[in-house]
Amino acid sequence: MTTSPRSAAELRRILASRKLERVVVLGANGTMGYGSAALFTTAVPEVVMLARTKAKADEGLAAAVKQVRSPTVANRVTTGDYEHDLAKAVAGADLIFEALTEDLAIKQDIFDRVEAARRPESIVATVTSGLSINALCAGRSESFRRNFLGLHFFNPPNVIVGTELIAGKDTDPAVVDFIDAFSTFRLGREMVRAFDTPAFAGNRVGFKVMNEVAQLAGEIGPLLADKLVGPYTGRAMTPLATIDLVGWDIHRAIVDNVYAHTNDEAHETNRLPDYMATLMEKGVLGNKSKRGFFKKDGKTRLVLDPATGDYRPEAEVVLPDLAYIAEVAALHRDGRYREGMQVFLNAQGEHAKRARRVIAGYVAYAFNRVGEVAETIDAIDRIMGLGFNVAPPSVLVDTIGAAGVVRMIEEAGLAVPAALADAARTGKPERFFRHTRINIGRFFVAE
Amino acid sequence: MALGSEVFVLGGYQTDFARNWTKENKHFSALMRESVRGALEACQIAPEEIESAHVGNFAAELYCMQGHLGAFFTEVDPAFSGLPTGRHEAACASGSIAILAAAAEIEAGRYDLQAVVGIEQMKTVSADVGGSYLGTAAWYEVEAKGVDFPFPKLFGRLGDEYDRRFGLKDEHLAEISRINYANAKLNPNAQTRSWYMNKEHALCRTEDNPAVGGRIRIADCSQVTDGAVTIFLASRQYAERWARGLGRKLSEIPRIKGWGHNTARLKFADKIAESAASPYVLPHVRSTIQSAMKRAGIADVNGIDGIETHDCFTTSEYMAIDHFGITAPGESWKAVEEGWLEIDGRHPINPSGGLIGAGHPVGATGCRQVLDSALQVTGQAGAYQVEGAKNFQTLNIGGSGTTSVSFVIGVD
Repeated sequence: MTTSPRSAAELRRILASRKLERVVVLGANGTMGYGSAALFTTAVPEVVMLARTKAKADEGLAAAVKQVRSPTVANRVTTGDYEHDLAKAVAGADLIFEALTEDLAIKQDIFDRVEAARRPESIVATVTSGLSINALCAGRSESFRRNFLGLHFFNPPNVIVGTELIAGKDTDPAVVDFIDAFSTFRLGREMVRAFDTPAFAGNRVGFKVMNEVAQLAGEIGPLLADKLVGPYTGRAMTPLATIDLVGWDIHRAIVDNVYAHTNDEAHETNRLPDYMATLMEKGVLGNKSKRGFFKKDGKTRLVLDPATGDYRPEAEVVLPDLAYIAEVAALHRDGRYREGMQVFLNAQGEHAKRARRVIAGYVAYAFNRVGEVAETIDAIDRIMGLGFNVAPPSVLVDTIGAAGVVRMIEEAGLAVPAALADAARTGKPERFFRHTRINIGRFFVAE
Repeated sequence: MALGSEVFVLGGYQTDFARNWTKENKHFSALMRESVRGALEACQIAPEEIESAHVGNFAAELYCMQGHLGAFFTEVDPAFSGLPTGRHEAACASGSIAILAAAAEIEAGRYDLQAVVGIEQMKTVSADVGGSYLGTAAWYEVEAKGVDFPFPKLFGRLGDEYDRRFGLKDEHLAEISRINYANAKLNPNAQTRSWYMNKEHALCRTEDNPAVGGRIRIADCSQVTDGAVTIFLASRQYAERWARGLGRKLSEIPRIKGWGHNTARLKFADKIAESAASPYVLPHVRSTIQSAMKRAGIADVNGIDGIETHDCFTTSEYMAIDHFGITAPGESWKAVEEGWLEIDGRHPINPSGGLIGAGHPVGATGCRQVLDSALQVTGQAGAYQVEGAKNFQTLNIGGSGTTSVSFVIGVD
C-alpha cells in the first residue's frame, strides 16, 4: 500500500532476519545527527553519539532531549569523541550512521576510521543529501561497499516520515531490504527508494521549485512570489518561507550541486539567483541569521527588497489584485479541491500565469525525472508528499486533470512529458496517485 | 442473525488523524466531504447508489457551532439531494450508535446500501475549553462542572478501583501506551505517527509527561483529534452484486457477525457501587462484549483474531483486557507482561494504535474501529496487518463506561 510492494508479513520476516540493537551516530552535534539519534532511541536500546569532542556530543544529546521533549533519550545514549571512543563504539555497532558536514574529504576521513574498526557485517549509512553514495565508498573494502547505503531523513528526522533509501552499485540488496524493513517497522518511516544522482529524488525536484520562486522573487518581490506559489497550490509552507527555514546556505549547496552536476531541460531554474549570492556575503542566511526573504520585527513581518537588501513591513508592500487566490481558497475551505484548481487553471492575468508556470514546471520536471532519480513517479510522489509536505505531482494531475495540466505546461512553453500527453489524449490512467490511505486533501491549504 | 438480515461492511475511508483542519483553514463541511468522497472512490461506489446516510457525532454544536449534520451530505455531491439522512449521538460511542442504526435499517429491509460517517472536528478550541466540552459526556453538573480535564480524572478513578480491588502497577499502563504508540507508527493515518515515545517516556514522571488526572499522565491519554471516517454497510443482495462487479467473492466481504450494546448509570460512582458484587469492574461493558460474541457464534476471545478497543486512557484498555476474557478479572497485567497484545501476539489489541496512538476524534472512533477491523479481515491493513485475521472485535465506549457498543467483524 503506502510502503513497499512487499507484504507486511514478508517485511517482518526480513526484519527478524538480523539484529540491529546498537547504533553509533557520527556528527552527533549537527541537526541531522542529534535528530536522528533521538529517533533511533525509540527503536534500539543503545545509541552512541560521537562528535569531535565529548563536549560537542553532549551538546548534541541536550539538543536531542530538547527536540523530542523527553529526558529519557539520555537513558539509551552514551556520548564520546572520535579520538577516544570511535574505535570501540564502531566495533560494537550494528549500524554506523554518518551525519557529518557535507564535505567529501571530511566524510572520507571518518570512514577510514570506521573501516578500521567496524565488524564486517555491520551496516554503514550516510544521511548525506548531496554527495554521491558511490563516490563516498569508492576505493573501500568489498565488505564496506556491500554494507554501505544512503539513509536520507528529512529535517527534523523525528517529525518528517518520508525517507529516501539510496543503494550504491555494490550495496547488497539484502542490506537495502533490511534497512527498508527496519525503518518502516521500527522507526515508522515512509520509505522511498531513490537512485544515486545529485540531490537524489526529493531535493532534486523540491529545491528546483523553491529556487524558481526565488528567481521570481528577484523580478516581482518575495511577498508576491510567495503568495502566487502559496498554500492554495498544494503546500503547507510557502516556498520562500521554506528556504528561510532550511537556511540559504543549505539551499545554495543543494541547487549549486544540482546545477554543477546535471544538465536537464530545466537547467537554468537550478541556478542560484545572483541577489541571493550577494546578500549571503552580507550574512543573510534565513531564519538562522534572523534575516532572509522575511524577518521579524516584534510581531511585524518585514519583507526583503532583493535589489537593495533592505526590508519593509509586509503591510507596506503593494500587491496586485489576487482575487482568484481568494476564490480558490474559499473552495478549498469546503473541500472542493477540484473546483478550486479549475479556478486556478482558468484564472486570467499575468500573475496567475506566472503561478501556473511554476506549478507546470514542477509537474513536468518530476515526470521527466522518472527513471533518472527514482524508478517510478510513485517514488517521487511519496517523497514530495511525505518528505516535503507538498502536493505530489500525480496529485496535482489528478486534481487539475491531465488535459488541464498539459495546457498549463504548454502555456509555460515547456515540453509535455509523454506520460501526461498520453493521459490527456486517452483519459487513462484515470488516476496517477493510487494510495487510498494517503489523504490528498491535506496538501491543499485554504489560504 | 437470519441470512436475509446480514449486514456487510464494504469498506470505507479514514482522514489522516494527524491533520489539523483549523490550521488548514477548513470548515467542517470539508472534513465530511473528504471522508465521504474518499470512501466512494475507495469502494468504487457511485453516489447515486447510496440509499440512506447516518452521521455519528458528539458535539459539533460546541466545537464548530454547527448542527444538522446529516444535511451536509447534500453538499458532498449533487446526487445526494433528497437522500434520507440523520445524526446520532452517544458521546464517544456516537460512531457505533450510527452504525447500529444503519445496520438495523438494513436488517429491517428498508435499504440495501447505507453510508455511515463518524466525524469530529475538535482542534477549533483550546485544550481546556475542549476538555470542558468533553465533560458533557459525563453528568456535567455533578462530575465535570468547574473541573479541569474531568475525563482523565474519571478514568484515573477507574485505575484506582482496579488498584483497590486487585492492585495495579504503573509499568503495566506504560507498556499499554508504548504498544499503542509503536503500532501507530505503522499506520499512515495515525495522529501520533511521528511523536516521541518509548516505555521509559511513558513511565517518565517529570514535566515532560505531566499528570492530568490522578494516576493519568499525558502518555496515558488519547489526544485531541480532528477526523472523519466513512463506511458503507450493505445487504446481502447489494454486497453480492458489488463483489461480483469487483471480481471478488461474497465470502471475502466482511460482515457484522455480532453486536452488543448496553448503557450503565451515568455517574462513575454509581457504576462502581453497582459492580461491587461483580467480578468485573464494569459489568455492562463485559455484557456488551459477550453479547457481540454470542450473536457471532463465537464462544470466547480465542475465536477473535484481534481487537480494536476503546483506549481513551491506558486504564480503559487495561479494563478491556480482562473484560474481553483474555485474562481472569483483575489479571490484565498478565497479558501485558506476556506480550499477548502485540500485533504478532496471542491477542493483538489495537494494531492501528488505538485511540492513544491513532487518535480519538470522538464521534469518528466507532467507525474507525469497524473500518480497521474490516481492513484487517480482508488483509488490507498494510504494515499493521495481523497475519491471517478472520474475525476482529471492537469495543467503543461513551462516557466513563456508560454507553458501550461492540461489533464482531469477520469473513467466513
